[in-house]
Amino acid sequence: MSWEAVARKDFQDAVRSRWLWVLSALSVLVFAGAAVGRLYVGGGNQQEAAAILRGFLFYLKQGTAIIIPLTALVVTYASITRERESGTIKLLLSLPHSRDDVVLGKFLGRSAVVTLPVLIGFVVALLALLPAASGLDILVYVQFALLTALLGVVFVGIAVGVSAAANTNQQALVGAGGLFAIFWFLWNFFVTGVNRAATDLFGLSTPDQFRLRLALKILNPIQAYKTLVDSLFMSDLEARIRMFSMLFGMIPNQQAARALGPELSPAFGDAVVLAAMLLWLVIPLAVGIVWFREAEL
Amino acid sequence: MTAIELDGVTKRFGDVTAVEELDLTVPEGEVFGFLGPNGAGKSTTINVLLDFVRPTAGRVEVLGMDPQADSVAVRERTGVLPEGFSTYDRLTGREHVEFAIESKGVDADPDAVLDRVGLAGDGDRKAGGYSKGMAQRLALGMALVGDPDLLILDEPSSGLDPAGAKEMRDIVREEADRGATVFFSSHVLGQVEAVCDSVGILRDGKLVARDSIEGLREAVGTGATLEITAGGVTDDDLGAVRALDGVDAASTDGSTVTVQCDSEAKTAVIGALEDAGVAVEDFSTRESSLEDLFLAYTEGEAPSDAAGDAAEGVDA
Repeated sequence: MSWEAVARKDFQDAVRSRWLWVLSALSVLVFAGAAVGRLYVGGGNQQEAAAILRGFLFYLKQGTAIIIPLTALVVTYASITRERESGTIKLLLSLPHSRDDVVLGKFLGRSAVVTLPVLIGFVVALLALLPAASGLDILVYVQFALLTALLGVVFVGIAVGVSAAANTNQQALVGAGGLFAIFWFLWNFFVTGVNRAATDLFGLSTPDQFRLRLALKILNPIQAYKTLVDSLFMSDLEARIRMFSMLFGMIPNQQAARALGPELSPAFGDAVVLAAMLLWLVIPLAVGIVWFREAEL
Repeated sequence: MTAIELDGVTKRFGDVTAVEELDLTVPEGEVFGFLGPNGAGKSTTINVLLDFVRPTAGRVEVLGMDPQADSVAVRERTGVLPEGFSTYDRLTGREHVEFAIESKGVDADPDAVLDRVGLAGDGDRKAGGYSKGMAQRLALGMALVGDPDLLILDEPSSGLDPAGAKEMRDIVREEADRGATVFFSSHVLGQVEAVCDSVGILRDGKLVARDSIEGLREAVGTGATLEITAGGVTDDDLGAVRALDGVDAASTDGSTVTVQCDSEAKTAVIGALEDAGVAVEDFSTRESSLEDLFLAYTEGEAPSDAAGDAAEGVDA
């Protein structure tokens, strides 16, 4: 398959960029920092040490939730537009690659570029943790690393889609930056607005309002990631309730707890949240592929 | 079999018509020179063949296939040296060739390819440090990988020194001997004259001539080029000259008037200029070369008919 060749070439090319090394260093620092911190603070008591690790990851996720999408977008937004602006795309498409394969190959190549630092950071942290690790700690850590890598891949998919659909670097930058701003700053306004309109129109009950808001929140890949990480330490229900909390999820929202509990509907389970994240992987990529088919180079 | 067939192809970018109603057939095994000044629409035509852009109207066939529907299949059998490309700065020359080999799914020795295009010894250098000419050689090497049935080379000599341009021509000849069809564009006639079986001349998006090199040579064989030194001549003054019998084309850069004509029309040309109020300071004549004919086609008033007609009525 021809996307393999494109992906390998793209990775080979991107891996020599200084960006990857900056990212790796940052990622090692973040992950290993958490691990080392755990060793320092955690005493001999296994139970207490595990709690400290959870505490670290709980706050670490606030950092990864902003750093990983941002780096994925920065590393990827120009992946196709820069080739078009510089003219390397002509060299690439003079060879027998379909345009679909170019987009898919870019996605795979850049996914490797973004996930590699995360996994390196994770391995370094694991080595630091090993001396005092319990089985549970390591499992949580592996899941956390995989979820974080998935968050990176999802945003690579979004950025490759944007880059394929855009005609210039500038358009791609505006598109990628705009999406990031929407996910980070505007999404909750959107959730509130839709909820208010729906309540006015259909007279939703309070529990229905919470369910609607939760469904909309889950559709934000960053919020989906955070709540999936929370699910590693707590029940699905608790993790979903935290999405309505203030102060980085430290104070649980009692109203939300009453509306969503005592049993969480399977419609809001981890599998559904994961599916919502994957939707953000597939849809922008598909849109980008279709637009790029029509592009004039 | 035809390697390339264009049938009424038109390409517009907004209000600008880059190529208009282009009909062109290149038979298999031919070395075809696609000539024309910069901006005539040569690259647009090539981009249509490669599916980089889609025609506004018309039908295109490359190696018997539709370049849009069977884009990958066309490029599997075509080696391309594109125009306005750049290399991957962080990859070495050898990695570029290896990528071409992998992409085409063939078995080839990257060093042999580099050696053939004169880059032996530069394979381990990053392409970002290559000169324009070296990048051009590298892209040619990538195009040659897999012995394609068709080579499409867009301005292959640009950035090359005369020795490099000769090596390029030698490679084109070798490829033609192997049986490949070669379609290459240039704005300099000298580069195609020596290797091409036939040429087409494109001007303002229209094909103004399509002939074999021999045919063109016959066309100019007996003509003359008249160069007249005269200040302040405008294009309007040349109208009377162009209307004369035996005049193929006339152009001016303000201080010199260049006229392609039959030998016996010279006196009439000078006379017509003087009648138009032009003070002729000096003039000289020489036998026309292919270059003159090419310039007449691409710079002066476009002749109405194909190149073969230029030979008519010449008896000097």
